[in-house]
Amino acid sequence: MTVRGEERWEVLESIGAYAAGELAGEEARAVERLIMERPDHRKLAESYARMLVMLSVLGNESVEAPEAIANYAIRRAYLSAFMRQAEDFLGGIGRSYLDAFVYYFGLRPARRESYGGEI
Amino acid sequence: MTYMEDRDLAARASSGDVEAFGRLVRDHSALVYRVAMRICGEGDAQDASQEVWVRVWRNINTFRGGSAFSTWLYKVTVNTCLSAREREARREMREYVSELPFLPEPPGGDADPETAALNAERREEIEKALSYVRPDHRAALVLRHMEGLSYAEIAEILDVPDGTAKGWVSRGRAAMLVALSNNGDGPEGGSS
Repeated sequence: MTVRGEERWEVLESIGAYAAGELAGEEARAVERLIMERPDHRKLAESYARMLVMLSVLGNESVEAPEAIANYAIRRAYLSAFMRQAEDFLGGIGRSYLDAFVYYFGLRPARRESYGGEI
Repeated sequence: MTYMEDRDLAARASSGDVEAFGRLVRDHSALVYRVAMRICGEGDAQDASQEVWVRVWRNINTFRGGSAFSTWLYKVTVNTCLSAREREARREMREYVSELPFLPEPPGGDADPETAALNAERREEIEKALSYVRPDHRAALVLRHMEGLSYAEIAEILDVPDGTAKGWVSRGRAAMLVALSNNGDGPEGGSS
């Protein structure tokens, strides 16, 4: 990007910040001088002001989300909660069967009894 | 919906209460859809919103209540939209600025800017112009000038320092004006 292009972009951004009311003190005075100096800068500031009004008007419009979004999200949550519970339940049954199996065949490793006299 | 109610619902949802989650969805569905529409575009907004809610349900236990639920929700929404837009070219509009951009004055003058702003053609141009702004700058611009959030909130949502959030809004604003001055067609009337 050329030096002039860079400068043009800087002017563009600083007039934008001024139009958005984000500059104060000396910064604001400097941009005001820029705007007063040249008619194209003045037009730029007006364009920004117009654009910001449009954005805020559009931003203030109420937007209704399609009902399908909430329905889908809630259905998915129910399904996932059900799966989670089913997993816990089946996991519990599986563990009980395994315990019973281990007990029935005497597969539990023998507990080491301690008589307090190990060498 | 108050801050505390949201926190309570989120806490219940994180322990598996689908009813509580359902209330959060119904109360905040418009926010998610609105932001998705502006960052992802109308065509992708529904899919993106559904993806947001799936992520919210999956990760709601990471919401600690340190900030408002809506701030956390903005974050999930913006991240979902930005990751969907990851492959989108990062256009630097500053490369295309050969002269200062201007918007034509509305036919009725500036006396009633809101009426001028709201006509259907203008609305379409704004939406089109937004799509030419780099996704992260677009997100910052939408949060600032359409959602009315503070820079501190934007920085928290985008997970960047305040200064970066400010810079992204500023660049997004300038890029938007460049695209809009071209009737929403982006640089040189194309989509490069």
